[in-house]
Amino acid sequence: MLHVKPDQPAECENALIERVKSGDQSAYTMLYQLHIKRVYGLCLRLLADQSHAEDAAQEVFVQVWHKIAMFDGRSQFSTWLYSVASNIAINYLRKQKSWVQKVVSIEQDGMDEQSAKDCKGLNGLDKLIVRLPERARMVFVLFAVEGYRHEEIAEQLGIAVGSSKSQYHRARQLLQEWYENE
Amino acid sequence: MNKPNFDDFLDKSLNTLDKEITPQKDLWAGIERAIVNTNEPEQSAVTLWPKLSAIAACTVAALVALNMFVISPKPQPVVAISDYFAQQKQSLLVQYKNQDALTDNWQTQLQELEEAEYAIKQALKNEPQNQALLTMLAQIYQQQLDLINKVHAPRWQSI
Repeated sequence: MLHVKPDQPAECENALIERVKSGDQSAYTMLYQLHIKRVYGLCLRLLADQSHAEDAAQEVFVQVWHKIAMFDGRSQFSTWLYSVASNIAINYLRKQKSWVQKVVSIEQDGMDEQSAKDCKGLNGLDKLIVRLPERARMVFVLFAVEGYRHEEIAEQLGIAVGSSKSQYHRARQLLQEWYENE
Repeated sequence: MNKPNFDDFLDKSLNTLDKEITPQKDLWAGIERAIVNTNEPEQSAVTLWPKLSAIAACTVAALVALNMFVISPKPQPVVAISDYFAQQKQSLLVQYKNQDALTDNWQTQLQELEEAEYAIKQALKNEPQNQALLTMLAQIYQQQLDLINKVHAPRWQSI
């Protein structure tokens, strides 16, 4: 595997993207190295499961390889990539649900307290975030960590804007409760 | 030492949160395997017809289900709906007969869905107008069609 410095300038990244568009896999390896930690971090926070986060992060980079021609350079590549990653992680969670969970709209719990404590790579607030139930966690991560607006989150998750706001409030309440009882 | 209040903790944590987390295993190998057989990224919308036809089949099935369950003023008998989906499923199976599936266990998954379909049909015998059961039945049929399409879709082989 080739290695690149993490402070790769944007113009170098643009050159890499052009090479990837023409099918250069070594350039794609370098793009992967630049972004995998950020993509994996997003997937892990959204999915609250290491194995699922690994699968989703892989799916992100496979799909981006196939779809990179759709990146038109009007936004930063990282913005486009993380938006693709959050969509894939959200869809990944939907696909993991059984048909009963989909029909009855049951949400999945987050990690239990011990698993969150044992989860490598997570510190402080992250250990609490991954314990949140699915909807509250997704909204909290997208709003508070990723900086999306509630309108954007509502569109991504297919929920009402009011629901996004109430799930954020629910997430904060749970985080506060766990923080104060620690 | 006093614990900071929650709002301070949250603000500070969010401001200093490291968005990067290192995966515990190398993920590149799986990605490389998945992309190695497709040397170049898609340049444009080419050879999309198999996917489009699969999407079209699912859309038609969903619309018919919607018509049968929601729009149609006279509820259709479950048996007619079942016949319709059985026909759709059969035509997909014929369409993909000579095409390799992406997974080996898809027929087991299909069988599990068929078992769920059977259980719902049994319940519908007692409550033939139960909308929740009818919706579940439509979902289970849709999942069967999706599964058949998905495992035969021309995508990467494995991650």
